[in-house]
Amino acid sequence: MKLEVVSRSGQTIATLDVNPEAPVSELKRKFYGIKRKYYPSRQRFTLPLKPGEKRGTVLDDSKSLSHYGLGDGGKVEFKDLGPQIGYSTVFFWEYFGPLVVYPLFFFFPKYLYPHLEAPKQHHLVQKLAVAYWSFHYAKRIVETFTVHKFGHATMPIFNLFKNCAYYWGYAAYVSYFVNHPKYTPPNEKASLACLGLALLMQLGNLRSHIILSNLRKPGEKDYKIPRGFLFNNVTCANYTFEIWGWLLYSAAVQSIPAYLFAITGALQMTQWAIAKHKRLVKTFDGRDGRPKYPRRWIIFPPFL
Amino acid sequence: MRISQAYLALYNALQACGWALVLANLLYGILRKDLPEQLYAAAGPITNVVQGASLLETVHAAIGLVPSSPLMSLMQWMGRSNVLFLILGPISQLHSSWWSVLMLATWALAEVIRYPQYALSSLGSCPAWLTWLRYTMFIPLYPAGVVAEMGLMVAALPDLAERKPYSLELPNPYNWAFSYHRFIQVVLALYPFLWWQLYSSLLRARSKKLAPQPPKASKSQ
Repeated sequence: MKLEVVSRSGQTIATLDVNPEAPVSELKRKFYGIKRKYYPSRQRFTLPLKPGEKRGTVLDDSKSLSHYGLGDGGKVEFKDLGPQIGYSTVFFWEYFGPLVVYPLFFFFPKYLYPHLEAPKQHHLVQKLAVAYWSFHYAKRIVETFTVHKFGHATMPIFNLFKNCAYYWGYAAYVSYFVNHPKYTPPNEKASLACLGLALLMQLGNLRSHIILSNLRKPGEKDYKIPRGFLFNNVTCANYTFEIWGWLLYSAAVQSIPAYLFAITGALQMTQWAIAKHKRLVKTFDGRDGRPKYPRRWIIFPPFL
Repeated sequence: MRISQAYLALYNALQACGWALVLANLLYGILRKDLPEQLYAAAGPITNVVQGASLLETVHAAIGLVPSSPLMSLMQWMGRSNVLFLILGPISQLHSSWWSVLMLATWALAEVIRYPQYALSSLGSCPAWLTWLRYTMFIPLYPAGVVAEMGLMVAALPDLAERKPYSLELPNPYNWAFSYHRFIQVVLALYPFLWWQLYSSLLRARSKKLAPQPPKASKSQ
């Protein structure tokens, strides 16, 4: 059948001949064949807007064209998502920065705090803090390549710069003050306790990631209800542990930039958690044989 | 009329009156050939009140009373409030600067158009000419305003370097240092970029709002 590809302003870009039962990915492959600039991960197709809709239905790669009711002479709207980059690539670079940047202030105070007399030895808290921070980001990189299964293959390349600026910037900001020659260490026992608990939170976060990655079997694309461990009580249990980890790190080092970093991260994770929770509640509505999503905290009991 | 509609109409009307007073005081003083510090003495206090009160707009956005982004609203409020309350207010030398007059005047000229347009829109009957004014006068007024704000911040730098207000030095138990002087230098570097985001989004809004409206109901903003 023939499908008309139009731009968002209504202009016809191309007409493609496709099999109605073919998946959307085949449409993208064919479009790439005639428009070499737009490789498949850059293409987004939507059905024309129905009255009352703000955004047309997005065509999923794995579904067939007939699934969307597209017949001969049908129209699809094309959007260029811009240059794309793989999720794992972005994750690697955004986590690699903090792993390198933070320790710089610990190991090279002569260069990073010029004109300042550095004490001969770092305080115990500072040593454990650099170890904790490095462990955290090394863990994240390992998870990126061995645990996480990404829902989308790519994201816009601008995100690479935005995310790296955030992670690398905050790493420098926190590290500068925690490793500063004029750093005032808090009570040592309290700091050790906080870091110990923080480490437990990291293990909780790791276990949560493993549970999430096992939810879908290879090839499955549908949403699942997470179960087990803290997920029985909290939708985004992984974020719960992550937030606690950073709050405990901040309490251990007693530095405002660390708290700022923890709060900023918590706010972003909260935004994501609310969206995920709403999506799960909407999907698992208890009708047509679907289970009903259980009553759970969203991200951070007893607040949300 | 719903209560929320009446409240918004009242809020915007009060703001319009406040800014009209600011503008009136400035114009009257300028006609009398007053010095900048006299103009600031006349218009400053009312400006402080209306600007302080406009924090409510962030609340309106946060509770969904208006469709704006609460974060954008808060950032714009903080930008203006920083210059007005933390820089112009405390530094008396700046009261005799023409930058301060330019800033208050451009703010007032823009607001006496914007708030009445909001007020009448919330009542559902805003005349086309007022909408045109609101989406056209910003074109010269916003650049003039941002230049004035930056001019004031630059003029304030020597005083900030010497007095070090709102700043924290190491060592301290918070393990944090903050130099307001350095902060304003960073703000000055970012200002044109942040301002352009606002200006270009208004230009885009202008082409949507002032374009001939199609007969069927268009997507809401």
